[in-house]
Amino acid sequence: MEEMLREYLPILVFLAVAIGLGLVLILAAVVLAVRNPDPEKVSAYECGFNAFDDARMKFDVRFYLVSILFIIFDLEIAFLFPWAVGFKDISDVGFWSMMVFLGVLTIGFAYEWKKGALEWE
Amino acid sequence: METIILFAPLVGAIICGFGWKFIGEKAAMWTATGLLFLAAFLSWIAFLTFDGVTEQIQILRWIESGTLSTDWAIRMDRMTAIMLIVVTTVSSLVHLYSFGYMDHDPQWRDGEVYKPRFFAYLSFFTFAMLMLVTADNLVQMFFGWEGVGVASYLLIGFYYRKPSANAAAMKAFIVNRVGDFGFALGIFGLFFLVDSINFDDVFAAAPTLAETTVSFLWTDWNAAELIAFLLFIGAMGKSAQLILHTWLPDAMEGPTPVSALIHAATMVTAGVFLVCRMSPIMEFAPMATGFITVLGATTAFFAATVGLVQTDIKRVIAYSTCSQLGYMFVAAGVGVYSVAMFHLLTHAFFKAMLFLGAGSVIHAMHHEQDMMNYGNLRKKIPYTFGAMMIGTLAITGVGIPLTGWIGFAGFASKDAVIESAYVGTDGGYAFWLLVIAALFTSFYSWRLMFLTFYGEARGDKHTHDHAHESPKVMLIPLGVLAVGSVLAGAIWYGSFFGKTNEVIKFFGGKYGEPTHELVEAVAERSPKASKLHYVMESKPGEAAIYIAPENTVLHEAHYVPTWVKLSPFVAMIIGLATAYWFYIVNPALPRQLAEQQRPLYLFLKNKWYFDELYDVIFVKPAIGIGRFLWRRGDGNVIDGSINGVAMGIIPAITRLAGRAQSGFIFTYAFWMVVGIAALVTWMSIGGGAH
Amino acid sequence: MIQADLNVILPEIMLAVYAMAALLVAVYTGKDKLAPMLVWLTAAGMVIIAAIVGLSGDGTNVAFGGMFVDDAFSRFAKVTILLSAAAVLVMSQDYMTRRGLLRFEYPILVALASVGMMMMVSAGDLMALYMGLELQSLALYVVASLRRDSAKSTEAGLKYFVLGALSSGLLLYGASLVYGYSGTTLFSGIIQAAQHGEVSLGMLFGLIFVISGLAFKVSAVPFHMWTPDVYEGSPTPVTAFFATAPKMAAMGLFARVAHDAFGGIVADWSQVIALLSLLSMFLGAVAAIGQTNIKRLMAYSSIAHMGYALMGLAAGTAFGVQALLVYMVIYVTMNVGTFAFILMMEKDGQPVTDIRSLGMYSKREPGRALAMLVLLFSLAGVPPMLGFFGKLYVLRAAYDAGLAWLAIAGVVASVIGAFYYLRIVYYMYFGDDESEALDQGSGTPVLWGFLMASAAVMVLGIINMFGVEGAAAAAAAVLVN
Repeated sequence: MEEMLREYLPILVFLAVAIGLGLVLILAAVVLAVRNPDPEKVSAYECGFNAFDDARMKFDVRFYLVSILFIIFDLEIAFLFPWAVGFKDISDVGFWSMMVFLGVLTIGFAYEWKKGALEWE
Repeated sequence: METIILFAPLVGAIICGFGWKFIGEKAAMWTATGLLFLAAFLSWIAFLTFDGVTEQIQILRWIESGTLSTDWAIRMDRMTAIMLIVVTTVSSLVHLYSFGYMDHDPQWRDGEVYKPRFFAYLSFFTFAMLMLVTADNLVQMFFGWEGVGVASYLLIGFYYRKPSANAAAMKAFIVNRVGDFGFALGIFGLFFLVDSINFDDVFAAAPTLAETTVSFLWTDWNAAELIAFLLFIGAMGKSAQLILHTWLPDAMEGPTPVSALIHAATMVTAGVFLVCRMSPIMEFAPMATGFITVLGATTAFFAATVGLVQTDIKRVIAYSTCSQLGYMFVAAGVGVYSVAMFHLLTHAFFKAMLFLGAGSVIHAMHHEQDMMNYGNLRKKIPYTFGAMMIGTLAITGVGIPLTGWIGFAGFASKDAVIESAYVGTDGGYAFWLLVIAALFTSFYSWRLMFLTFYGEARGDKHTHDHAHESPKVMLIPLGVLAVGSVLAGAIWYGSFFGKTNEVIKFFGGKYGEPTHELVEAVAERSPKASKLHYVMESKPGEAAIYIAPENTVLHEAHYVPTWVKLSPFVAMIIGLATAYWFYIVNPALPRQLAEQQRPLYLFLKNKWYFDELYDVIFVKPAIGIGRFLWRRGDGNVIDGSINGVAMGIIPAITRLAGRAQSGFIFTYAFWMVVGIAALVTWMSIGGGAH
Repeated sequence: MIQADLNVILPEIMLAVYAMAALLVAVYTGKDKLAPMLVWLTAAGMVIIAAIVGLSGDGTNVAFGGMFVDDAFSRFAKVTILLSAAAVLVMSQDYMTRRGLLRFEYPILVALASVGMMMMVSAGDLMALYMGLELQSLALYVVASLRRDSAKSTEAGLKYFVLGALSSGLLLYGASLVYGYSGTTLFSGIIQAAQHGEVSLGMLFGLIFVISGLAFKVSAVPFHMWTPDVYEGSPTPVTAFFATAPKMAAMGLFARVAHDAFGGIVADWSQVIALLSLLSMFLGAVAAIGQTNIKRLMAYSSIAHMGYALMGLAAGTAFGVQALLVYMVIYVTMNVGTFAFILMMEKDGQPVTDIRSLGMYSKREPGRALAMLVLLFSLAGVPPMLGFFGKLYVLRAAYDAGLAWLAIAGVVASVIGAFYYLRIVYYMYFGDDESEALDQGSGTPVLWGFLMASAAVMVLGIINMFGVEGAAAAAAAVLVN
């Protein structure tokens, strides 16, 4: 038990560092930065334009679709990295497992393509 | 053959009750009657050819549960044989009689079919009664016992349009429940002690029971005494003995043939039969039998006194029945079971006849039952008069004194009871009560005769003018029963109340030499008695009845003093003379006497206020409790709470649940979180965490 | 090695490969025109796989180092799942076609959900469990919002998805706690870590979270809130699907986790499940009284029924699991018939869900009304219908396990619950004839056949339950030892 928990100690350290660093940066801004607000500074930044209307507007659902599709392939890469790194030591089963995974993903990709999910209009 | 006797009435009942629509009313009734006559015929063959040896005829395996294992079997011994002829003979005659009596019954509208139902009930009753008497074990007997109860209920309430008939039917059923409870307890007790309910096992265990004590209610009892007492409570209910007698007079609401069959000749004698059947246990229970004697004598006396002043012809005979049953119990109580059975047999004949005769009178008088509206009927209905006269002679015990057996049926058996009572109680309480009861019996029986057939015609003149003799189907049964009433006593005197060895042989037992001490003890007790030669040698249960060797009442009863032997006869003469004086010579006298002794008259007229007393002690409180439980318990508590829950609380919860289902996703998530928080809290505080 | 493993999960592979192949074929050729054919094909495939699963396998086979278990219990559950899913698919075809809902993805999603369910009941590891659960759930989220142009259907899908994600989170959190305190995700390892009623507090917390996550899937109170909304919002055939196969799968998974992973600490979880069971029975019975929409009513009905099924699990004995399985099979059969009837409730070709529209239905359709009467009596647990014996089973299991209070509560709840079933009967037989009558002779012979067959099973099944008892007993014996 002890042994196992100790293996997680680095994670705890990382966690502490992340929180600590975040806090330090925010507090540093509060403490050190010069504060001199004017209307230009506090208005929303939108590619050099003035904001047309409220920032809480509806987005086209297609943005979500694209982002979800993106996430899937993003995850695919996340799986592929360790697989590629350890490729030398991987057995046949390991190799074909990834092939099956990619195949399934490809089927999904083909489906969404044919379905027209990738077309904007 | 016995199987045919047992099932013929059942078949008749089924065919008649369910089949009349297919085969017609007349045919259905004749089928039932025909099967009954067949049963009666076979019964007589069975009785006359019976050799006294007990045999069991298995019909089917009945109950198999744990250690309780029981056959449905016919126990054929002398007791059964006697009961078979009594039941089937009277029943078949009553069936025949009902053809006339039930015809054109004014209780029913034109075109209503009621006769097949009546005959089916009668046949069903007969089957149940046969079940009772042929039983080979207590549960089978109880089945028959309840069966006759049901049949009795149905038949008393046969005129269901009459509220009084319905009330009487319920009363009979409920009062009998009290007795049946005792009987059932007795059966339970026997099963508890003996682990069997078969007669053979129970009887064989009787001597052991006498030495066992059991704890019941608040104290320890001798097992045999307790069982005997509990069984007798059952007998009290069925045989209408004092305390539980109130249903019998009311049962007269039923049609008269029913009264003759059920409430005179057969069902009410089931209690006597039970006590005699259980004689092996009774013999080991001196206290219980003592109680039976006292209660029987008291009932005989009580019922006779009430019978003196009743004016309803059927009620007079009903009280007479009650009284005669008391005689039988006294005989059984002092240990002469054969005499009890003897009186049961003769009584069945003459009492059935008296009832059927009364029915004939009622039929003639267009369903008028009050004797005050009779009078001078002997010319109008001569055959009925003749039959009633024979019946009266039989019940009052007319015969030649000191011969013992030369006389009408009642003479032989009743004198035997009184003489046995003298020996059994050393001339005590029971004996004197029976003699007085005999006097009263004579009085009220003759009173009935004089009021009905002599004197002047009273009541509605029109009814008297149209009084007519009953049809042949009603007179033939009267004739047959008349033969029995005259001869039954003389024929079987020897078998039931003869020499000890004769009686033992008749009931299928073995007799042997008495011990020297016993002979001396008897000689000392009854100096006039001849030497005791025989005692019963059979073990309990081997013969139809059991008489312990020490029980020498049967022997000694033949050697009572002469005045004892004469006493019933003298009582009868006095009763007759008084009745003659009151109702023929000086008809005004009874009224004057009633005026003078008004409290006494009312006391008797109202049957010692038993009904009123029960009304106050049991009925009113029971109704009160019932009303309370109904209004408060059932109405308020049960209905109230159920209605409250069903119409108040549940809909409220439903509304709450509906409101919780808000449709907002955060509410749902909130409830999930609340749920898991509650579970975690519960488990960490009260759960199995370590 | 890998060959043996693949053999064990061959039925799942077959169904998954079929689903993907069908997806590709359909999307590249006829698209929705192929849908009716695909429905029948998928249903047939499921029946075939059910036959393979039911007839071929015997004994206990373990694959992937214990992560996947194929035993009598999982086979029993799989056969039930596949057959009920096939039945619902066949029933939905006509209804969805006429309303333009029948897309070719529908049968494929149902097939994929079924693969997930098969995975669930065979899980021998927390990860396998989660994989199966998510595969099932994701497919179900999509079919719930199949009717995209209906606000209610979309809402149903979204609610189901969000709350399902929450429950998945709870489950995962519980699983990680369990893993943390036992050091393994394998059930066979967890049971080693939690033996003889000895359990650490962290493990116990993990157990409770896992139970909560699973309770969401079987819609046990207080994790039931999604059920009525989703049942109401989804297209009726989808509701029928929700009410049958996934419930069986979730119950099977529940039983497997409880006994395979936590069989050493029965006393700990049995009281939690008993509480869930009690709450579900009563809430299901009470809340349904206020409903007039038959789909919402069936949602509460299924909540109550899950309460009864959980009662068998709460007993914590082999007999309890047997009772659970028997109860679930009866429940699924009843629901197939009942939804067949609901699918036939139409007025002018439009679906009707108000129970008041059934006024005097018996006059117009005596046969259907009688079949529905039998089913409703069975749902209410009126003897001698089969539903009564299912209840009797779980009550006996609870009583034998010393949960007499729960059994009594179950009887009381069933009395309350009988009200709303009988109310439908009342409308059908004594109701108001004035209300706008439903169409006569609506529905297809297929629906009619399922209704009648289901009703007939409720009556004839009492003879020997078609041998289900024996199979359930064998399945339970494998799970509990």
